[in-house]
Amino acid sequence: MTIENDETLQMYVEESQEHLADIESDLLAIEQGGADIDEELVNKVFRAAHSIKGGAGFMGLTNIKELAHKMENVLGMIRSREMVPNPEIVNILLLASDALRDLIGNAVESNDIDVSEHIEALIAVAEGALPDEGKEAIKKTVDIYFPDGTVAFTVAEYDILQARQGGKFVYLAEFDLIHDVHEKGKTPLDVLRELEKTGLLLESRIAIEGVGTLEDGEPTNRLPFLVLYATLLDPTVVNTLFEIDEQRIFKLGEDLTTRPIGLEPGTESGAAQEAPGPSGPVSEEPVAPKPVDAPTQALPSESRAPERPEPEDGSAESRATQPKAATQNKPTPKQVRPKAKSKTKEAATKGPEAETSLRVHVSLLDTLMTLAGELVLGRNQLLQAIEARDMRTIQLGGQRLDLITSELQEAIMLTRMQPIGNVFNKFQRVVRDLARSLQKEIELVIEGSEVELDKTIIEAISDPLTHLVRNSADHGIEIPDERIKAGKGAAGTIQLKAFHEAGQVNIEITDDGRGINGDKLAASAVSKGLITEEQARMMSDREKVNLIFLPGFSTAEKVTDVSGRGVGMDVVKTNLDKLGGVVDIESEPGKGTKVRIKLPLTLAIIPSQIITVGNDRYAIPQVNMDELLRIPASQIRDRIEKVGDAEVVRLRGHLLPLLKLSEVLGVAPTYVDPEDGTQKTDRRRNIADRRCVKNPVEARDDRAGEGAEPAQETVSGERADRRSLTERRFHAESAVNIVVVSAGPLKYGLVVDRLHDSEEIVVKPLGRHLKRCKGYAGATIMGDGRVALILDVGNLVQMAGLVSVEGTERAEEMARKAAEAVKARKDMQSLLIFRSAEDEQFAVTLSQVERIEKVKAADIEKLGERRVMRYRGGSLPLFTIDQVAQVKPLADQEDLLVIVFIVGGREVGLLAIGPVDATEVSAEVDDTTLKQPGIMGSAIVGDHTTQFVDVYAMVETLHPEWFEQQDVCDKESGEAPTLLIVEDSNFFRNQVKGFMEEAGYHVIEAEDGVVAWNILDEQGEEISLVVTDIEMPNMDGFVLTKKIKGDERFAGMPVIALTTLAGEGDVARGKEVGIDDYQIKLDREKLMESVRNHLVELTGR
Amino acid sequence: MAHAKQDRKNAGVVELTTFYVGDALCGMDILNVQEINKHMEMTKVPQAPECVMGILNLRGQIVTIIDLGKRLGLPPTERTGDSRNIIVNSHGEHIGLNVQRISDVVQANWDEVEPPPANIGGVQGRFFEGVYKTENTLVGILNVEEVLKDEEEA
Repeated sequence: MTIENDETLQMYVEESQEHLADIESDLLAIEQGGADIDEELVNKVFRAAHSIKGGAGFMGLTNIKELAHKMENVLGMIRSREMVPNPEIVNILLLASDALRDLIGNAVESNDIDVSEHIEALIAVAEGALPDEGKEAIKKTVDIYFPDGTVAFTVAEYDILQARQGGKFVYLAEFDLIHDVHEKGKTPLDVLRELEKTGLLLESRIAIEGVGTLEDGEPTNRLPFLVLYATLLDPTVVNTLFEIDEQRIFKLGEDLTTRPIGLEPGTESGAAQEAPGPSGPVSEEPVAPKPVDAPTQALPSESRAPERPEPEDGSAESRATQPKAATQNKPTPKQVRPKAKSKTKEAATKGPEAETSLRVHVSLLDTLMTLAGELVLGRNQLLQAIEARDMRTIQLGGQRLDLITSELQEAIMLTRMQPIGNVFNKFQRVVRDLARSLQKEIELVIEGSEVELDKTIIEAISDPLTHLVRNSADHGIEIPDERIKAGKGAAGTIQLKAFHEAGQVNIEITDDGRGINGDKLAASAVSKGLITEEQARMMSDREKVNLIFLPGFSTAEKVTDVSGRGVGMDVVKTNLDKLGGVVDIESEPGKGTKVRIKLPLTLAIIPSQIITVGNDRYAIPQVNMDELLRIPASQIRDRIEKVGDAEVVRLRGHLLPLLKLSEVLGVAPTYVDPEDGTQKTDRRRNIADRRCVKNPVEARDDRAGEGAEPAQETVSGERADRRSLTERRFHAESAVNIVVVSAGPLKYGLVVDRLHDSEEIVVKPLGRHLKRCKGYAGATIMGDGRVALILDVGNLVQMAGLVSVEGTERAEEMARKAAEAVKARKDMQSLLIFRSAEDEQFAVTLSQVERIEKVKAADIEKLGERRVMRYRGGSLPLFTIDQVAQVKPLADQEDLLVIVFIVGGREVGLLAIGPVDATEVSAEVDDTTLKQPGIMGSAIVGDHTTQFVDVYAMVETLHPEWFEQQDVCDKESGEAPTLLIVEDSNFFRNQVKGFMEEAGYHVIEAEDGVVAWNILDEQGEEISLVVTDIEMPNMDGFVLTKKIKGDERFAGMPVIALTTLAGEGDVARGKEVGIDDYQIKLDREKLMESVRNHLVELTGR
Repeated sequence: MAHAKQDRKNAGVVELTTFYVGDALCGMDILNVQEINKHMEMTKVPQAPECVMGILNLRGQIVTIIDLGKRLGLPPTERTGDSRNIIVNSHGEHIGLNVQRISDVVQANWDEVEPPPANIGGVQGRFFEGVYKTENTLVGILNVEEVLKDEEEA
C-alpha cells in the first residue's frame, strides 16, 4: 500500500513521536515498580501504544501497527496483572518501543523495515514462554577488553551471567581519579558506594598502567579508575550515574566486546536502524563462553553457535545476532558517524516539536501591525495627558486603550485560529477505509468545517475524534444485513458536526447505528468491578451510557483491529478533560448514538462568572456554567429541600443537588446586612433554616402537583402575607444565589454568597504548594490587581463527596423515595389501641372515637342480653367485641373502659380494658387473614398482631334497626347510583367499597388517578360521584379533580376527597381545583353522609 | 547552580540576608532572594496547606506566600508593619516567605559556618544549612529548598 505523504501523515508522525517520548521513562518506572504495578502508568503507556496502533491502522502502516499492537498486548497483560513486568519483559518492550520510534521516524518506508524479531519476542513474552535462562554454570574466566584491545578485567564469566540476569546491562567505566573523582570533592569509595545503590559492582581497580610511561610522548594527566558494573540503567541514561565522559563508559555486549556508550548510535535502536534489528530478549542470552581473541572483532558466529543454549525463539535470535555483531565490529572512527547522524536526526525530529510554525494571512498581520501602532499612539496620548493632569483626556485615553486591547486580543486570537475542517477532512478517508475493512456501508456527513478553533485545541482533539469516529464505524453502525433487518437503510450515516454555541465550540458525532445498551454497560461495569451493584441500580440511563468513559471498559464483545479493548473512550475523556472540554454521550438502543463534545475556543483567556464566598472572589469558568439561579427568600422553603443529607433545589421539575461552596472550601459564608450595609457572617446551618413552621408533610403537600398546578403562586403568596415582612430573612439580601454548573453528566447547584459580573479572565497557574488543592483550576488577576482563584467544578464535587447524590436523576430518585416515605406517613392511621381479653390487641381508628370513659364493672347493668350503663342522664348501650366476632371474651376485671362511638346518630359504647394507647401506624393492613364479622383486618402494631375493629359493622349486627331508614333514601329511581372510588391502598379501597356496596351503591374501583380518568373517559355517564384519595402515584387526587372539573362531560359531578390529614393547605388547594368535600379516611359515618348529601343535591337539580 | 554555590562557598564569603522568624534570627544567601516586599493584601486559599498564607499578584505572576514561622513549626508570624515577604526563586517558580521583620545583610565567611545543632530556637535542625556566629548573635542559615519542600509529598 502506498502512503500519501500528506499532512495527515505528518500529523500522525508528530503525534506518535509525542506518545513515544515518554514511553521509555515510563517503562523504566514500570520495571522499577515490579510486581507493585502502577496502573496509571501502565495505562498511560498502553494508551500511547494504542493511539499509535490506531493511527497506523488507517495510515496503512502495517509494520507500525503490528508492532504497536503486540506491545499493547503485553502491556494489557501487565495491566491486568497476568504478568509481572520483570526486567526481561520491560527490556523487550523498550527495544520494541525503540524500533517503533525508528519506524515512525521513517514512516514512509516503515513497511519495508523488518521488525519481525521484535514482534516474535513480544509474542513469546505474551505467551508466557520466556526463553530459558542459560543453565550452564560456566566456571570460566573471561577477559574484558577495552575497544582498543587492552585488558580491563579478568572476571568469572558466571559472574557476568549472573549480573546480566534481570536484564541488567554491564558497563565498563573508566573514571579518572583526578578529574572525575577528586576534583568533585569525592573519594573513590564515595563513587563505589553510590554505584552500589543502583546496581551491582562486579569489579573495580585503579589502572596504574593507564597512567602512561615515561616513554610516552605526553603525560596523560589521568589516573584511570576502572569499574565493572551491572545495572538496570540502559546506556542512554547510565551516565547520569557515572557523570563522566561518555567516551569512557563502555557497554559490554553479548560477545563480551565493549563499546563506548557515547558512540552507540541511539543504543539498541541504532542497531535496529542499521540492520534489521537486534534480538528481542537480548539480556537473557548467555554470554559466549569463549573469550574473544581480539576485542575489536566479533566472534565468528559458527564458533558460538554450538555452545549457545538454544533459546525458544532461536530463529529470531540467530538472525539478529549476526548483523549486530557486525555493527559492534566496526572500529571506533566509523562509529562516530552514526552518532552524529542520530544527533542530527534527533534535532530534526525534535525541531518541529519544539518550534512549530503557523501560517498567518498577511492581511491579519497587517491588522496586528496597525493595532500595535494604535497601541503606541494611545500610550503616548495617555502619558501626555497624565503629565498635563488632564482628567478628560486621561479618560479618553483609557477608553481608547481598552478598545485597542480588546481588538488586539481578538486579532491575536485569530492568528491561532484554524478551521476544524483540517481535522474533519481526514475522516473522509478514515471512514472510507474502515467501511471497506469492516464490510459496512457508511456515509460520512460533515457539517461546520469552517468553525474555527485554537490551534492547540485543533491538534489535541484529533486523537479523541479519531477514536469516536472509529467507535461509531466499528461498534455503532451495523453490517448492512443487520440494518435491513432492523428496518433501516443498508448504508449507515455518521455525522460530524461543529457549531458555535454560547461562546463554545460544540462537536457532535452522531451515528444511526445500534446504539448503546446502558443496562448492558452497567452490568459489564459491575462484573468488572468498576462500580458496585448498588451504584448501578441508582444510575439513570444516561449515567449508564456514560460509564463507557471509565478506564478499562470495552464495548465490543471481541477485540477488533479497528477499535475495542476499551481504551478508546477513556482516552477520549482524558484528552478532552485536559482541554477543558466536556464530553457527553446519549444513546438510544437501536436508533443510534450521539457524542457531544463542548470545547472552549481557547485555553488562555476564558470568560468566567465572578462570585464571592466569605471574603474572597472566585471565578467559575462559563464553560462549566449552565445558568444562574436566585431564589427569593419567600420561595426558599418551597424550592429547597433536604433529601437524606443533601440539599436539593427544585428547578423546572427537576431536583438539582446543591453544594455550598463555603462548606466545601471551609470558609465562613457572609452576607451583607440590609440595615447597615456591612458584611456579616452568615450562621445558618441549612440553606432553608428558620423557615418552616408547618409540619413537613404539609410542606410536601404543597408541592405535590407543582409541575402542573398554578395554585402554588397563591399559596406562597398567602404564606408571605402571613409572615411579618420586617424579618430580615425576607429582605432581598437573604435570597439564595445558586450557580448551576455541569461537570460532565453531573449537574449541580453551587450555593455562593454573592454573584458579580461575568469577566474574561487570564488563567495563571498556581504554585507547587497548592497543587494538591484540587478544587482550583488556577488563579487569575482581577481588575483591581488582587488575585481570585478559579474553581474546578468537577473536582469540587469530589471534595464535597457529592458522589452519593450524583446527578439530577439520582437526586430525583432519592426525592421519590423520600416522597414515598412521606406518602407512607400520609397513609398513616391514627389508631386507638386497646384490649378486650388480656392478650388480644385491638384497634379502632382514632377519629371514630368520641371519648373514652373509665367505668367500674359494677356500674354496668345487664338487661337480658343487652348491657347498658347510666350515662349523662340516659342509658348508653354497650357491647363487647366477642358478641360479634370470634375472639376471647372480655376480661373479667373490676376496672373497665368504655370507648364511645357515634353510629347511626346514636352513641354506643364498646367495653374494653387497658392499656390504651393512641398511636400512628403506617403498617400495611392485612385484610384477609384475620378478617371476620366485625373485624376489618389486622396489622402488626408494636410487635403485636392487632385486629382492626369495624365498629360500624358490629353495631349494625347488633342493632340492625338503627340503619334501616337510611338505606331507603338512596334508591328513589330504583337504580343504584354508581360511585367511582379512587384509592391506591387496597385496604382502604376495599373498606370503602365494602360499606358503599352494603349501602346499596354500585361501586367501580380505580387504583390511581390515571386509571380513574380512563374509566371516566369510557363509562363516564354511569358514574354519579367520585370519591378519591389525594396522595396517589401517577396522578394524584388534585390533578384528577382538576381534570374532571375541567371536562364538560363531568361538569356537575361531585368529587369527595378522602384523606387522613386534611391540612389547611390541602383544603385550600382542594377548593382551588374544585373538590366538593373533604372526608377523613374511614370515618364511615360522615363519608356516607357526605355521599348521600351530594347525590341528593345532584338528583334534586 | 549547585556548582556555583559550591564555588562561592569554597571561595569563602557569602552575603546573608537576615531576618527574624519569631525571635530567631535566620539568614539565607542573598542570591536566593529575588526581592523583598510588603504586600500583605493576599488572597486566602481555602483548603491549602496550613503554612500557606495566601497568594499574591506579583507583577502578573501568582506567588504563593508561606508563613515561614508556621512552616518552621513556630507560632504564626505576627502581622505588624514590619513583616515582609521575601520572594525567592525555586525551580523556576516564585515563592514568598513571610517573615516577622528584616534585619541586616551579614557577610559570612563560609569556613566559619558551623553545622547546625539539632534544634535552633525551637526549629528543627534540618531546615538549616549551618549556623554562623556574628559578633553578638547567631544566624541560622536556612536551607531554602528544605523549607520549600512539600511536606506531605515528602
